[in-house]
Amino acid sequence: MNRQIRVLGIGLIILFLALFVQLNYVQIVHAKALASNPLNGRAIVAEYTAKRGSILSADGVTLASSAPSGDQFKYLRTYPAGALFEQVTGFFSFTYGSDGAERSYDKVLTGKKSPFKLPTSLSGLKNLLTNTDQSQSITLTVRDDLQKAAQAGLAGRTGSVVALDPRTGAILALYSNPSFDPNLLSGHDLSQVQANYKSLTSQPGGVLDPPAYRQTWPPGSSFKIVTSGSVYDHQSPLATKTYPTLAALPLPQTTTQLHNFGGEVCGGQLLELFTVSCDTGFGQIGLDLGATSLYDEAHAFGFDQTPPLDLPFAVRSIFPTPASFAQALPTLAYSAIGQEDVQASALQMALVGAGVANRGTIMAPHVLDHVTNSQNQVVSTYQPSKWLQATSPDTASQLTQLMTSVVSSPDGTGTAAAIPGVQVAGKTGTAQTGTGKIDAWFVAFAPATNPQIAVAVVLPDQPGANEYQGGTLAAPIAKTIIQTYLANHPATPLS
Amino acid sequence: MTRPPARRRTELGLIILVVFLTGGLYALAGFGKAGNLPANIGPFLVAIFVLLLVAHMAMRHSAPLADPILLPVAGLLNGIGYVFIARLSHHEARLQAFWTALGVAAFVATLVVVRRARDLERYRYTFAFVGIGLLLLPLLPGIGEDINGARLWIHLGAFNFQPGEIAKLSLAIFFASVMVERADLLSRGTRRVGRFLVLDPRYLAPILAAWGLSLVIFLAENDLGSSFLFFALFIGMVWVATGRAYYLGLGAGLFAFGSFLALKVIGHTKGRVEAWLDPWTHANTTGYQIIQGWFAIAGGGMWGVGPGQSSSGSIPEASTDLIFAVIANELGLVGAAALLAGYLLMVGTGLRVAVRCDRPFDKLLAAGLSLVLGVQTFVIVGGVTRLIPLTGITLPFVSYGGSSLVANYILLALLLRISHDTEQPAVAPAELVSVAA
Repeated sequence: MNRQIRVLGIGLIILFLALFVQLNYVQIVHAKALASNPLNGRAIVAEYTAKRGSILSADGVTLASSAPSGDQFKYLRTYPAGALFEQVTGFFSFTYGSDGAERSYDKVLTGKKSPFKLPTSLSGLKNLLTNTDQSQSITLTVRDDLQKAAQAGLAGRTGSVVALDPRTGAILALYSNPSFDPNLLSGHDLSQVQANYKSLTSQPGGVLDPPAYRQTWPPGSSFKIVTSGSVYDHQSPLATKTYPTLAALPLPQTTTQLHNFGGEVCGGQLLELFTVSCDTGFGQIGLDLGATSLYDEAHAFGFDQTPPLDLPFAVRSIFPTPASFAQALPTLAYSAIGQEDVQASALQMALVGAGVANRGTIMAPHVLDHVTNSQNQVVSTYQPSKWLQATSPDTASQLTQLMTSVVSSPDGTGTAAAIPGVQVAGKTGTAQTGTGKIDAWFVAFAPATNPQIAVAVVLPDQPGANEYQGGTLAAPIAKTIIQTYLANHPATPLS
Repeated sequence: MTRPPARRRTELGLIILVVFLTGGLYALAGFGKAGNLPANIGPFLVAIFVLLLVAHMAMRHSAPLADPILLPVAGLLNGIGYVFIARLSHHEARLQAFWTALGVAAFVATLVVVRRARDLERYRYTFAFVGIGLLLLPLLPGIGEDINGARLWIHLGAFNFQPGEIAKLSLAIFFASVMVERADLLSRGTRRVGRFLVLDPRYLAPILAAWGLSLVIFLAENDLGSSFLFFALFIGMVWVATGRAYYLGLGAGLFAFGSFLALKVIGHTKGRVEAWLDPWTHANTTGYQIIQGWFAIAGGGMWGVGPGQSSSGSIPEASTDLIFAVIANELGLVGAAALLAGYLLMVGTGLRVAVRCDRPFDKLLAAGLSLVLGVQTFVIVGGVTRLIPLTGITLPFVSYGGSSLVANYILLALLLRISHDTEQPAVAPAELVSVAA
């Protein structure tokens, strides 16, 4: 029988070897494919159940925090500020993933980004074994008081407000209507979350995408800041050219004319055209400049580029390429006044304002201020960096003069943004979107001589009648933002 | 017996090592899961040490010459199993601790009661009837219970018991005794049919009857894993007893026929095979278990995610059928391979015991018991890793489940008893001395 028993032993060894080979196949060879299988919820659960730090506003309000939930997901993410900060914090959902800072700073919040270090202490060893408390909290640059001012200013109307510190690119306010309460998606009752998601996505316009940095509209006359910049940078004699006083501008290659909004009549030199936002004048300036000069300036200010915002999927604002104007000169006149195919996000227009305010330099926009560990020690601080050199300091100071005139001159379109004792620089925009609707814009910064804050406000699809509506609808919101910020944040001199 | 043999000291040393290994794993799993040492780490260490010490003292008393490796390896597997069960369910861990104590008690009782393995031979028909009776128990109304589509449990008061586990041992003893007695008749044709000498069906009848009946019972209870295990045990033992290769051929044929029949008759079987061949199209039904097991194993990678740190929530039957997937997830390829090596060590040691035996019955029984251990491990690990269709069967010493644990401790005691008997000099020591002189 011994021969058979030995053969039996060999047979069993072969069976066990087969098991070992199969284990190698599943755990090593095929592991990556299995890990990325859409049915595999392990990575999602592991990610979702990791302890997350809190998200705080610049003025100390808790925007997102996790509390032990005692169920399979371990922690419940809650957003005490609700819809007010949704477009900044985003949401964190088991079923629908995450968005906003929750997404872009996911690895920071869970502490997974900290590089592996051999433990040198007992608590370090404990952390290695337990993998539990590596979570970090992040403090944002966005301010609770300004978010509230933006929300109050919009007063329920659809629209976006973006405010930032032009010297650092720190976003101070980023709020849009419609918004939604991220708690609707972070709950652990998955069927309820699914129902919430369905009702959110069934709303027209898609409430899930933050409009302030993912949606674009024609910037209208607020784009004249860029057009004027192009004048100073590329053909400065045009700044002192006197343009004829017209109600409508004849256009090349066509019999149609570019009409001033509401049949107004205007003309004169650049300062005058800018102050009253003269469309016929700027249409001719666009034709005088040519497509290349206009495109180059727009590109320098960030059009046709994706802003390096530290929130996911920031949209690229559009200015058509020079080649596209070759057979369509009339559209160049319209593009010079921010119509036709020009499209800008609220963030992009705030960056245009910030670039002028910061002597021609656009800083990279960001919402992160600093990271703290679970012992409340600051681990790292965001280092501001330059994004674009939009224009020269000289041009920037010329543009500041133009923008100051819009607010302070009696016939300016932006007088609604005037603040006693503070010099505000601004530009209105009233983009005609056809069917009698307008997108009302206001781009501003203040104080003009020592800028602390740049703001862009857009109210799309307002019933429109005249060129002053950017000023009457959007400028007051920008004004309250600036006032709130300067009141709580006394101006500091430029270093 | 003034001085214990060296192998008992080896055993004690290995047991102490096992206590440290298991305690370390328990502590790590506690850290991984809750971030601190398990509150009952002290009592835990004392309990496993005392249990293994009791088994060890029984060895010193009743089987001092037996192999020193089997008991510590079984203790290690049992300990690893307990750690993972405790990490999955406190309730099951308490029950498993109770069953472990009962298993050790059964181990001691078997060593003490069965003074010589060959004594079992005399009760062969008792074992046959007990075996068949145990198999029939779950089918009785009132105490039988269906769990997950298989009727292989009985419940007595608060406890569920799977009598098939014990039946395996009973029938292995019966087979060994009958086959040893009739090995010659089974290996040589005695009846002339035309030009050929063929096996006399009279000699085969009792075995075929027992085998056929138990197979039918297993199938009636929907227990495919045990059916296969039992079948492999039977064919393996006949072949070891006779050395005739045609039994392997016959076995393969019968297996193919039985599989075909099972596929046609039992819906349960068809689902299992479909889930094995293509789990992805049945991802939410029959394939769910195997896919979740695969994801868990794959997630472990080379080194595992760490004891206590996996998210096991999605694995069904995590503490019983799929406990290997949880272990492979947390300990990685390295830990899973080490676990397999542990089983191979036990199986190999058992077969070595069989080879060293002089008495055919002891030899065949030891080989059969080792085969049970090896095949059962292969069937469940192969099933979980999708090498073969997944059938519900326990991973010996590791899975949660009282009857399995008790049966495996009895199996272990029988192997060790045979091992001791083999090492015992056949003649009295005094005579040996005189011969040597």
